[in-house]
Amino acid sequence: MQHNGSSNKVPKTWLGYRRPDGQVGGRNFLLMLSGTLYANCVCERVSDMTFNTIPVVHPLGRCQVMPDLRLTVRTLIGMGKNPNCGAVIVVDHHKETGCEAEEIAHEIAKTGKPVAAINIRGSGGVIEATAQALRTALDFHRKISGQRREEVPVSDLVFGMNCGTSDTTSGISSNKAVGIVCDLVIDQGGRSILAETTEMLGGEEVLVARAATAAVGEKIWFITKRMEKRALESGEDIRGSQPTGDNILGGLSSIEEKSLGAIQKSGTKPIVDVVEFAEGIGKASGLYIMDTPGHGGESITGIAAAGSQVLTFSTGGGHTINHPVMTTIRLTGNRISYEKMKDTVEVDVSDIFDGTPIEEAGIRLYNEVIDTASGKLTKCEILKENNAMAIHRIGISI
Amino acid sequence: MRKEVFVINPKDNVATLVSEDGTKGRRVEADVNGKSQAFELKDAIPFGHKFAISPIAKGTQVIKYGYSIGTATENIQPGQHVHIHNIESNRGRGDLVQQKEKTA
Repeated sequence: MQHNGSSNKVPKTWLGYRRPDGQVGGRNFLLMLSGTLYANCVCERVSDMTFNTIPVVHPLGRCQVMPDLRLTVRTLIGMGKNPNCGAVIVVDHHKETGCEAEEIAHEIAKTGKPVAAINIRGSGGVIEATAQALRTALDFHRKISGQRREEVPVSDLVFGMNCGTSDTTSGISSNKAVGIVCDLVIDQGGRSILAETTEMLGGEEVLVARAATAAVGEKIWFITKRMEKRALESGEDIRGSQPTGDNILGGLSSIEEKSLGAIQKSGTKPIVDVVEFAEGIGKASGLYIMDTPGHGGESITGIAAAGSQVLTFSTGGGHTINHPVMTTIRLTGNRISYEKMKDTVEVDVSDIFDGTPIEEAGIRLYNEVIDTASGKLTKCEILKENNAMAIHRIGISI
Repeated sequence: MRKEVFVINPKDNVATLVSEDGTKGRRVEADVNGKSQAFELKDAIPFGHKFAISPIAKGTQVIKYGYSIGTATENIQPGQHVHIHNIESNRGRGDLVQQKEKTA
């Protein structure tokens, strides 16, 4: 237990909304969940018209090959099941085979939270669907807004980790600070999720050495090889896509270098399991890996679908990324980037370069995670900068 | 105290310069395996970029975090800028697979 000394000094509880299925939310909003792109506007309209309602919209839900559609549906169900949502209204358009609002609502309702499904054609068009959703929203908000936060242990936290617009400061400052938070959460019985399989290429040996069992090690090799195969099949050098243009400007020269910096987020604990994109994780405490691409929005959407309440997004160049469902905290170790991007970056750990011990910066970040999970608003929440809903695709539109 | 040169692992042959003053010809101090070592920057080094701390021969591995981050495409001298102009990634090289298929 590397951080025993510091664990004694950090908060061991946070304030959350206990859900009927036992999960604990850090927020208590109504989710307007679009089942198909043609229902997006109804979801956005109802969100605009009501207090504390978040829309989740996307361009999918139709004309997808089945494995891809199933992944979309699993992701949408995961959005609704995330404990940050107090209640959910799912809207679809007419008849989306394999992606119907009723089916999605049925799965989400297993959590015990209030859920409704609205079909635009069935309601008699968008005006009637909007009115129906609005009345339901009124009812749901009256139901859920009376719930109070209660003190809950850190073991009820699913801590998400992601990085993006990385530079060479990431691997030696911000990602290291995230790794300390990751360890602290697990020390107290919580769960953490590392993702971004592309950013494991070149760092596999480091991760496999930390696998709890040989089978978990095999899974790490499996997902990294599968991801590299995708890159090879493109017939091109992935440099430019990975590392990205902003990574290269920031001094990262290859995917291997980016990966070795990115995996610093994962701290020091054993890796207990590897899961597919948007798949739920086990109940056991520990560090999990989710197979996601390096695309920040897709990656954090996958983590949100697994039920993570709060995620830290470490960045070199600064960022605006924010998930509508999972509270997202941005941090950087690059002082210049903090100055340029402080509208949307909550935590500056660049003082690590002035001699602040990384441990101290990590505890500062941990406190921000606890405060934010307990209700402190992020900059992007205040600014409604909800840009990062992106569903990973494994097939083409047909 | 402000630290501006980072050598992460004892096996590394590159250092990261976290400074806005990477002027060519500047002398910087780096902690290499517990010993302070001076380097003259042979190129202008942008904030956060890398320079070599030992000679890296063409075709050999560039090491950071104790692992390979790519292959040197030319001989690199201590103090020289190490980036995409003189190192190539070894991973995800779909272009190399395609070249191999064409020549096969």
